[in-house]
Amino acid sequence: MRKLSHLIAAVLTLALLLSITGCGGSADGKTHLTFQIWDVYQRPGMQAMCDAYTAQRPDVVIEVQATSWSEYWTKLEASAESNTMPDIFWMHTNQLLYYAGFGMLADVTDLYDDVEPDYYEKHFSEISRSNASGSDGRLYGVPKDKDNGLLVYNKEMFDAAGVPYPTDDWTWEDLTDASRKIYDATGKYGFMAYNDDQLGYWCFVYQAGGHILTADRTQAGYTNPGSVKAMEFYVNMQKEDWCPDQTYFTETAPGTAFFSEAGAMYLEGNWNLPQLMENYPDMRGKWDLAKLPKCADPIEDSESLDQDGRATMSNGLCYSTAAHGKKRDIALDVIKFFGTEEAQRIQGENGAAIPAYIGCEETWRSAFDAYDEKLNLDVIFDQFDYAVQAVYNSASPKWKSQVLDELTRVYAGSQDLMTGLEKMQQIADTETAKKLASD
Amino acid sequence: MNGKLSAAARREENWGWFMVAPTIIGLVVLNLWPFIQTLYASFCEHLGFGRYKFIGLQNYVDMFGNAEFWKATWNTVYFCILTVPVGIALALLIAMLLNAKVKFKGGFRTIFFLPLVCAPAAIAMVWRWIFNGEYGVPNQLLGAKIQWITDPKTAVLAVAIVSVWSSVGYDAVLLLAGLQNIPKTLYEANSIDGAGKIRQFFTITLPMVSPTLFSVLIMRLMASMKIYDLIYMMADETNPALTDMQSLMYLFYRSSFVAGDRGYGSAIVIWTVGLILLVTLVQFWGQKKWVTYDI
Repeated sequence: MRKLSHLIAAVLTLALLLSITGCGGSADGKTHLTFQIWDVYQRPGMQAMCDAYTAQRPDVVIEVQATSWSEYWTKLEASAESNTMPDIFWMHTNQLLYYAGFGMLADVTDLYDDVEPDYYEKHFSEISRSNASGSDGRLYGVPKDKDNGLLVYNKEMFDAAGVPYPTDDWTWEDLTDASRKIYDATGKYGFMAYNDDQLGYWCFVYQAGGHILTADRTQAGYTNPGSVKAMEFYVNMQKEDWCPDQTYFTETAPGTAFFSEAGAMYLEGNWNLPQLMENYPDMRGKWDLAKLPKCADPIEDSESLDQDGRATMSNGLCYSTAAHGKKRDIALDVIKFFGTEEAQRIQGENGAAIPAYIGCEETWRSAFDAYDEKLNLDVIFDQFDYAVQAVYNSASPKWKSQVLDELTRVYAGSQDLMTGLEKMQQIADTETAKKLASD
Repeated sequence: MNGKLSAAARREENWGWFMVAPTIIGLVVLNLWPFIQTLYASFCEHLGFGRYKFIGLQNYVDMFGNAEFWKATWNTVYFCILTVPVGIALALLIAMLLNAKVKFKGGFRTIFFLPLVCAPAAIAMVWRWIFNGEYGVPNQLLGAKIQWITDPKTAVLAVAIVSVWSSVGYDAVLLLAGLQNIPKTLYEANSIDGAGKIRQFFTITLPMVSPTLFSVLIMRLMASMKIYDLIYMMADETNPALTDMQSLMYLFYRSSFVAGDRGYGSAIVIWTVGLILLVTLVQFWGQKKWVTYDI
């Protein structure tokens, strides 16, 4: 009896020891890296880049892990606190300033000094660089991609109502006129103006000459005359019979409504297009892309960018690694590779996202090679000429959800627009001032 | 007394400690220590990445001055009012029906127990479709256009219905076990004395099942006060009725993990713990009045 228990104890101890060494990852003598992303659709593209790297460095193994957007940030923050961050991970503009401000991210400003002194300036746009910069102007990530929002429309509904397709010169009035005509003729919704910032009112605010944050990102601009003009237009569209209200969008996402042919137009991010083509085979050929309509009479403002009523939001991600990661040097080498033309090209050709690397953007078109029905992808590349960088500051994580709450109350009708905007202004200003004071 | 233990007794005592150590260590590490940390965090401002600054009672001052917080407190209480009495009454009714002589008893028991086997996330997703304002089943049957989940008036009710639906089977099984422990002879003696069914329910069934009823009540009330998952699954960030349906735990989640304000979130947790403590104390005091532990 006694011998048996000793034997069991010995076996268990051995198993424990084996599992510990297994965790160390050195069983095969290679360096194992984890690469955390939040978009499962981009996994093949990311995997292809990793494969290209490990082909040159057979002693490295990179595991791509995808999770959901909301889980990603909870996990990443917890791992940052315990210094167990993934070796490589995506960073978003909304969070980069927060992470960089606390010294969580490795400074990659000098990463390419041995290649080219002004590598970033030469190969990445100002927006891309700005998206990867901390408040101190240093770079905390290698630019990955860029995107923008565009108008998606249903060609059949336009035909049925006898309305010409959206053109480059479309104004807000053209948008509402077409919506009314389509609704009257077909009974389907026109433009589906849902409560969203980057793919919604932000675009309209900048078109009207307003701003969400001042250029130095220290103050909000919700009550700026241009912003008010745009918000009045955007929010009140839901009062028209051709636009569903927010209760509808809570239950039916605008994309779902569009692809079940309940409405004729909505704003979509270019990053979603490949999966929309894949997921809705019956709709291929029935829809197309157009530039965002412009504001015919924008309000002149010292803070606004001179864009003659045109604007769309552009954002971009970057690849980062932890400032004090255990495998920092090798991780830095990997993200250095991710920023090269070769890796960015692989990313584009796999249809993952539009590469941030200047000159590689068009490789992303190959994401649509498999389909006979063509989309007017030119509009996406043309829109980069006047795209505005998605607006975030280091206090964004604090004010974003509170601002959303206030706007939700406006949509619900429990407070009027002006009161809502004043509160949004106050929330963003207070949180920003608090953050600036503590820095 | 302890000082005079013999060597054998001391060894036995040490063994006792050794045997309960896993549980005690687990409780301290996983429950007590986090509770102390939460308490401390509630007096702090979270600067980011686990760094805290002591700010005294400021979080509580902010909290008690915030209309959203009081609304969430009321929503939680309202949710309890909707789910606990109705849920337990239904569970008792079902348990009594399952205890009676009916055909396919086993089949019925399985059906009522089934919701418990389903993943809560799946339940919430299916009910979201059921409550859909455009295509939902109840709206089709009623011929109405009620926006169940997005109308502030019905949002809490909708969540309560799902909560009762998914918990009633479990409660019924517990109560059924209680019912089956009642000796048949009591009913026989009672009916010989000429009592009707309703009188039997109040004089025999209810007192005899009251200990089980009491445990079910405590568990259900605690679960209802901590309601979070259903709301998280059924409501979106852009739901116009969100502030009208969010519970204290959901407000805590949004404060701590969406807005990153963990100090304020901790204050909400401490307040909720206090509420649960109060309610449970009242219940334990009240049990003396209505719970029968011996025949």
